[in-house]
Amino acid sequence: MIELKNVTRRFGDTVAVDRINLTVETGEVCVLVGSSGCGKSTTLRMINQLLPHSEGEILVDGKDVTAMNPEQLRLNMGYVIQGTGLFPHWTVARNIAMVPQLLSWPREQIDERVHELLTLLDLDPATHAKKYPQQLSGGQAQRVGVARALAANPNILLMDEPFGALDAITRENLQLEMLRIQRQLKKTTVFVTHDIDEALRLATRIAVMDRGRIIQHDTPENILRRPASDFVENLVGKQDRGLKLMSLHTVRDLMDAYSQPRQPEPGADGLKEDDSLRVALSIMLWQNWNQVPVFNTEGQETGTITRERIIQEGA
Amino acid sequence: MPNRVLPVLGLLALALVWLLNLGVIQPNRIVPGTGHGLVSAIGGAGAGLVSLILAGCVLLSLLPVRRRYLPLLALVGLSLALLPLLLEVFADRHLPDDAPYARSSIGAGFWCLLFLLSLMLIEILGRLGRGRWLQLLIIAVISGSWLWFLRGDGLESLSLVREFNARPDKFEQALWTHLALAFGAVSISACLAFFLALKMIRSVAWRRPILGAVSFLQTIPSLAVFGLLIAPLSALAAAFPALQAMGIRGIGWAPALLALVAYSLLPMVRNTFVALTEVPESLADAGRGMGMNERQLFFKLKLPLALPVIVEGVRITAIQAIGLTAVAALIGAGGFGSFIFQGLGQAAMDLVLLGALPTIALALLADALLTLLVASLKPTPAKA
Repeated sequence: MIELKNVTRRFGDTVAVDRINLTVETGEVCVLVGSSGCGKSTTLRMINQLLPHSEGEILVDGKDVTAMNPEQLRLNMGYVIQGTGLFPHWTVARNIAMVPQLLSWPREQIDERVHELLTLLDLDPATHAKKYPQQLSGGQAQRVGVARALAANPNILLMDEPFGALDAITRENLQLEMLRIQRQLKKTTVFVTHDIDEALRLATRIAVMDRGRIIQHDTPENILRRPASDFVENLVGKQDRGLKLMSLHTVRDLMDAYSQPRQPEPGADGLKEDDSLRVALSIMLWQNWNQVPVFNTEGQETGTITRERIIQEGA
Repeated sequence: MPNRVLPVLGLLALALVWLLNLGVIQPNRIVPGTGHGLVSAIGGAGAGLVSLILAGCVLLSLLPVRRRYLPLLALVGLSLALLPLLLEVFADRHLPDDAPYARSSIGAGFWCLLFLLSLMLIEILGRLGRGRWLQLLIIAVISGSWLWFLRGDGLESLSLVREFNARPDKFEQALWTHLALAFGAVSISACLAFFLALKMIRSVAWRRPILGAVSFLQTIPSLAVFGLLIAPLSALAAAFPALQAMGIRGIGWAPALLALVAYSLLPMVRNTFVALTEVPESLADAGRGMGMNERQLFFKLKLPLALPVIVEGVRITAIQAIGLTAVAALIGAGGFGSFIFQGLGQAAMDLVLLGALPTIALALLADALLTLLVASLKPTPAKA
C-alpha cells in the first residue's frame, strides 16, 4: 500500500505538486492522468524518491520513505519509463537481470528468472535473450523494460508513460498484455499517462490531476458517470462517453450463460467472453447480428448475447 | 562495377616510376649524387616487369569480375613485400666496387611507388572488408619482409642502412627513449585528464577554468614550451638537490615530459568529459530508479558507454605525442628526433630519414593498435 499525505513538491518558487492526498491499495492499479506539466510524473518520482518531496509524508506499506535507504527502497519497486531506458551495452538477458544482480542472487536463479520473465512477456528466450536493445522493435524493447521491472518480484510497480512512444497497435497489444499480467501477479501499480483511454482500460482507480492537484480519484466507471468538474468532463470527452462506458465491461457481464459449456458447431461465428461490449456492439452492428454465441478462451460455446441487451444495459 | 580508384592509382604509379629517379648513387655521405631512372636503375627486364605488374593491376581492377580483389590483394601485397628487391638490384648494378664511401639512396620514384602501392593496398583491403585480422596479417608479412631485406647484405650499401649500421646502439636507445617519453606522457596525462574530467562533471564552476587552462596550454607553440621550461626547472633543480639526483634538470627528459603532458591534456580532457556527459540522462534515470547507487551507475553504465570515446582521445593523443617527442630532442630529451636534428646539422638527409621513418612507423603502429582497441570496446553490434 502506498499513501501520500499532504505531499507538496516545489521547484524553486513554482509548486509542481500541491498538497495531494492519495492512497493506492495493495494490488490495485492507480492511474495518474492529466495533461503534461500537471505534476503526475513528479508525483510518481516522489514515491521512489528520485525526487524528494518538499512537504508531507509518503508511506510505503506503512513506513516513511525518507526513513529508508533510497537504493533499498527502489530495489523493491519496479520502474518502467518511456523509451525503455534499457542499457544499450547489455544484452536483453543482462538488462532483465539487473536488479537480481544488484541483489546478488545466485547465477542459476537469475538465469531461471530471466527465462521465466521472457516467457511471461511473450518473448522467445532462445531468440531474444542474447540480443541487444537496438536490435528489438519498440514494442519488444518495452516488454523487456517491463520484464526488467518485474525481475526481482517487487511488490510495487511504477510506470511512467511506458507505452507513450509506441504506435497505436503496439500500445494496445501491450495494454492487453499488461492487463493479463496484472491479473496473474496483482502488483500494486502506479501508472502515469496522458491518454484517458489507456487510463480507463488499465485502472482500478484513476486519479485525474490538474495543476499539481488531484481533481478526482475514483473508479473508471464513476469518472465517466460522475465527473467531478468540467475539467474531468472535458478530459473524458462528452460525446463518446457512452461508448467509453461500454468498453469498461466485457461480454461476460451481459451474456446469457449456458449451464454447461457446449462444443460449438464447426465454423460458427461469434464473440469472445473477454471482448468489450463496445467491440461486441460494433461487430454486431457491422454484421447485422441480433444474437450471437459467445466462446471462452478454449473455444467452447458458453452462452449467447443479444444486441438489445447491450444497448439497454451496456452503458 | 569496375573500380575507379585502383586504375587511377596504378596509372599514376606507372607514370611516376618512369618519370622520376628510382635511386641515387652518391660518392660519399654529403655530396649530392646522380639519379637513375627506371630503365637505367634496374635494367630493361626489371623495368618491364615493374610496368607489367602495374599494368596488370590496372587491367585486373577494370575487369568486371566478381572475385578480382583477392588476386589483386595478392599482387599488390607481394609487390609491396618485395619492393626492397628493386633497391638491391639497383645497388648491385650501379655501386662501384672500388669506392668504399659510395652509397645508394632511395629516389623519388621509389617513394612514389611505395606510397601509391600502399594506397592501393588500403583500397583493396577496404573493398574486401574481411575484418581486421587479415589486415594485420598482410601488414605483418610486408613489414617482416622489409625487415628481412634491410637486415640482409644486399642493402648494405643503402645509405639509410649505413647510417643505421654506424649507430645501432644509439638507434635502440633512441627507440626506448622515444617510447618511454611518448607513452609516459600519454599515461600520465590520461590519469590526470580522467580526474580533471571527473572534477568538471561534479562541479560546474570548474568546467570553464579547466577547459580554458588546457586549451591555453595547447595554443603555446611546442618549441616555446620546451624553451620556457628550461629556466624554472633549472632553478628548481638548483634549489633542491634531491630533484637533481633524480635527473631533473633544465634540459633533458623532465621538461620534455612536462611539455608532452601539457600538450596531451586537451584532447584527453575534452574526450573524457564529453564521453561521460553524453551518456543519456534517461539511462541514468532508469538505472537510478532500479536501485543503482551513483558508484554502480558510474562503473556499470557511464564508464562502459564512454570508454570507446575516451580511448579515441588516447589514440589522438598518442599519435600527437609520438610526433612531438621528435621535437623534444632539441632540448636534449633524446629519441628519434636527435637523429633528425643531427642530420639537419650535417646536411645528411639519410640520417634525417633514419629519425623520421621510425617516428612515422611508431605513430602508425600506435594508431592501428588503438583503433583496434576502440573497435573491440564498442560493446553493441550495429543495428540489425
